[in-house]
Amino acid sequence: MKTPIFRAGLAALGALALGVVAGCSSVSPVTKERVARSETTVQQAEQTVGRSEAGAIELQRAKDHLEQARAALNKKQAEPAERHAQLAQLDAELAVAKSQSASARRAANELLASIKTLREETARGVVASDQ
Amino acid sequence: MKQTYNLIVAAAVTSLLAACTSTPDRIEELETARAVVPQVESSPRAGVAATNVAEARKSLDRANRIADQKGKVGDIQFEAMVAARNAEIANEKILAAQAQEEIEKGTAERQAVLIEAREAESRRRAQQAQSATQQAQLAEQRASTLEKELSDLRAKKTDRGMVLTLGDVLFDTGMATLKPGAYNTIDRLATVLKEAPDRKVMIEGHTDSVGSDDYNRQLSERRAAAVQTALLERGVTSNQITATGKGETFPVASNDNAAGRQQNRRVEMVFTDDASQVASDVN
Repeated sequence: MKTPIFRAGLAALGALALGVVAGCSSVSPVTKERVARSETTVQQAEQTVGRSEAGAIELQRAKDHLEQARAALNKKQAEPAERHAQLAQLDAELAVAKSQSASARRAANELLASIKTLREETARGVVASDQ
Repeated sequence: MKQTYNLIVAAAVTSLLAACTSTPDRIEELETARAVVPQVESSPRAGVAATNVAEARKSLDRANRIADQKGKVGDIQFEAMVAARNAEIANEKILAAQAQEEIEKGTAERQAVLIEAREAESRRRAQQAQSATQQAQLAEQRASTLEKELSDLRAKKTDRGMVLTLGDVLFDTGMATLKPGAYNTIDRLATVLKEAPDRKVMIEGHTDSVGSDDYNRQLSERRAAAVQTALLERGVTSNQITATGKGETFPVASNDNAAGRQQNRRVEMVFTDDASQVASDVN
């Protein structure tokens, strides 16, 4: 005779078994995919940032997170792998954004300086040349 | 915008320091996210980073919810970090957009300044050309004034230039002092020479054959010098005038009679058309 208690116990056992299996199984392809995508983003950021100062710290942080994501992947720890991959991704994006905003700022400042020079030259009557 | 940036930096530094001693009551990552996310949300340029701003808000809300439910600190930290990173990315995109706006405005401004500069330059050139024309006209006018004056004074056109002969009535016999009667002529000459500073005059003293060659040469030199001095005193510049004494060697009439000798006692003023002619005469 199967009592409800027995059935509940069976269900609990089943759930436990499922949990154990999940814990031991390799991380899902989605996580692997996530880490791989971050790797690509970090590589691209490396090219964009290059040797420029702006974004260098963030890029290094991205590399560190990527390293930790790979290590977690090796230890079959899905959640840390996911999280480090995501942080690596965000830091790489931040590095690119910093480097781009710094170069835009530099260009803007150079332009403003050139306008100032041009105005001064015009005021002094120096022949203006289009450069 | 600067304020936002400072806040982010300050918050990042605090979170770094706090990482070693984080306590469950106060999670620095969450505090950071709570500070920076509203900052980028309130930026008038938030639209340029809409996705990052939205992601930041979503993660911050999640972090707050987990914190309210006394969830795992690690989960709160992760969501807060995602929120803060997105806010920082948004901030950089906003700064870049701001710089880009300045570049666009500046490019237009630079173009306007360049056009302005070129217009000013062409105005300046036109002015220069005009004043050059005026100068030329003035010089021509002065030159024609000189020609007219000289012809009034009965100068003769010769192959050496205009030659004006001042008779011996300007000097007492044997003297090299100008008589007052000479002043009118000298004044007029000084006036035209001052108005035509590019014109040069060579003053030559001549005598008749009475007296020794040496005496006559010296007398002619002194007479030429007297005319030169008179002109200089009236303000003619010295580089316009040269003076020489030719003595009795260039008579214009016979020395056998008084009338001829009187014609020979003279000072000639040679006006050249240009500087080079006088220079070649002198050398």
